[in-house]
Amino acid sequence: MRIGLVCPYSFDVPGGVQFHVRDLAEHLIGAGHEVSVLAPADDDTPVPPYVVAAGRAVPVKYNGSVARLTFGPMSAARVRRWLSDGDFDVLHIHEPVTPSLAVLALWSATGPIVATFHTANLRSRAMQAAQPLLRPSLEKISARIAVSEDARRTVVEHLGGDAVVIPNGVYVDRFSSARTDPRWTGTPEHPTLAFVGRLDEPRKGLQVLLRALPEIRGVFPGTRVLVLGRGDTEDLLEGLREDDRHAVELLGPLDDADKAALLHSVDLYVAPHTGGESFGIVLVEAMSAGAPVVASDLGAFGRVLEGGSCGALFAVGDPHDLAATVVRLLADPSERAGLARRGSRAAGRYDWSRVAGQVIAVYETVRLGADRVGEDLRTRSLLSRWREGPAG
Amino acid sequence: MGDVGAWLPFFLALLLVLGWYLSYSAARLDRLHHRVESARAALDTQLVRRAAAAAELAGLLPLAAGRPLAEAAAAALKAGLSESVPADGRPGGPTPPLSEVESELTRALHRAVVAVPRPVSDSGPGDFGSADAELMATLRSLNRSCERVQLARRFHNDAVAQSLRMRAKRIIRWTRLAGHAPEPRMIDLDDRTPPGLLP
Repeated sequence: MRIGLVCPYSFDVPGGVQFHVRDLAEHLIGAGHEVSVLAPADDDTPVPPYVVAAGRAVPVKYNGSVARLTFGPMSAARVRRWLSDGDFDVLHIHEPVTPSLAVLALWSATGPIVATFHTANLRSRAMQAAQPLLRPSLEKISARIAVSEDARRTVVEHLGGDAVVIPNGVYVDRFSSARTDPRWTGTPEHPTLAFVGRLDEPRKGLQVLLRALPEIRGVFPGTRVLVLGRGDTEDLLEGLREDDRHAVELLGPLDDADKAALLHSVDLYVAPHTGGESFGIVLVEAMSAGAPVVASDLGAFGRVLEGGSCGALFAVGDPHDLAATVVRLLADPSERAGLARRGSRAAGRYDWSRVAGQVIAVYETVRLGADRVGEDLRTRSLLSRWREGPAG
Repeated sequence: MGDVGAWLPFFLALLLVLGWYLSYSAARLDRLHHRVESARAALDTQLVRRAAAAAELAGLLPLAAGRPLAEAAAAALKAGLSESVPADGRPGGPTPPLSEVESELTRALHRAVVAVPRPVSDSGPGDFGSADAELMATLRSLNRSCERVQLARRFHNDAVAQSLRMRAKRIIRWTRLAGHAPEPRMIDLDDRTPPGLLP
């Protein structure tokens, strides 16, 4: 199959949607499909060979983080050129309501179009205002995918209709076969906890874990907190006592192999997120790596952890409940082992081999009874029609 | 009076905008109708594939379990391959409606899959031990087509929902933009995947 993927966010910035598109593209290529990814990027930014640059990305605040987006007549022309060069059987647009490449692609194309909704938070005011303008384009989508039950509910509430739930994918064996790293391996005197995520983004919840730390260290004084991620922690660490501060080790950003080794080595992985999470891919990564998971009881996390049987849940934003849960698990190695065992079994559902199979089933279904992807001539600008002459 | 002359360009502009809006709405509606048709074609194809896979499974089962499934599959194939069967059926029509035939096939599949011979050490749906390869392949392809029927039906009904919302708009109703295109209908049928098929 010839598949065109559209990613609205720039590949040079890490993010869940970008990783999802990258992994999906690579899995599909590995399965013998021809894949081209259109993503924002400068012409001189190095990108993987299957990525086509759609022009410079402009940073815009969106959904609680800074997204780098692309639009303008230049990008519009590139989208159309990419569509006609690609001659795709299926067009798969990610996050189709971001005012960006995704909207441009939807605007310019006709034919079998699949769209994946990642976010569980469409409640932004800009989105509400743009609704009537977006709706005609959104009607072109033949199949909607939501990455979680929460994302699906958002789609149903805001756009009407329905979506099929296909979760985010993980290369499970990359995590399950990770090495144990002695730097991060806990001992009974010095148990290790891992946190993964941007440090200065409050919804990732590092502050909740740090507020729980004194209580945890009250019972297990040797506890070490290993923090993976970028961002500024000055303010966060300020409120801690001297000795608690020394228990926090900032690892900065790590590459994928080291991240897997970290999750494989620690005694507990802690996900103290406070909201805005639609799926929780990092939970699945930790489960794949065999780490017992402690997570806030957000709806999305509860579903990934199957109501608490594949990982322990605590009351969202409550450092005392988090501390009590961590202390209970650190004291009980057999409960930790049980969580890890059930977690890694449940993670198999999210392996790319399973997830990509479901995505391909969607592609094949929308291709039945439809033409190929083409350019939508109705939405072509008068200017470009005139420029290319009557033959165009 | 100079007044009429002054208002004329305004009226012309208004007419122009109205004309553009009508043509734009007509195109939108047309696109949605086209989507419903494609989705319906996809669903019909997937239903025929499911019936074919069910017939194949029926051939591999002991006669008592196989015959009811074969009959349900044959009825579904006949309904799927004849063009004239309405999605919802008309009372007193010559053929039973599609949704009834297909739901009956689903129920027959549920009953038949229970009768699939399994090794004694059955610890899960995937554990067929040395059961023959043909049966396993059939159960796999049946699972695929059941999943795809569900997808196709959901995409179809999503397209129908959006067409209906568009057709309900006042501008469409007053100007009769929908013309003689029949009102699209949701397809409601039991398409649960029977437990115990192979992934």
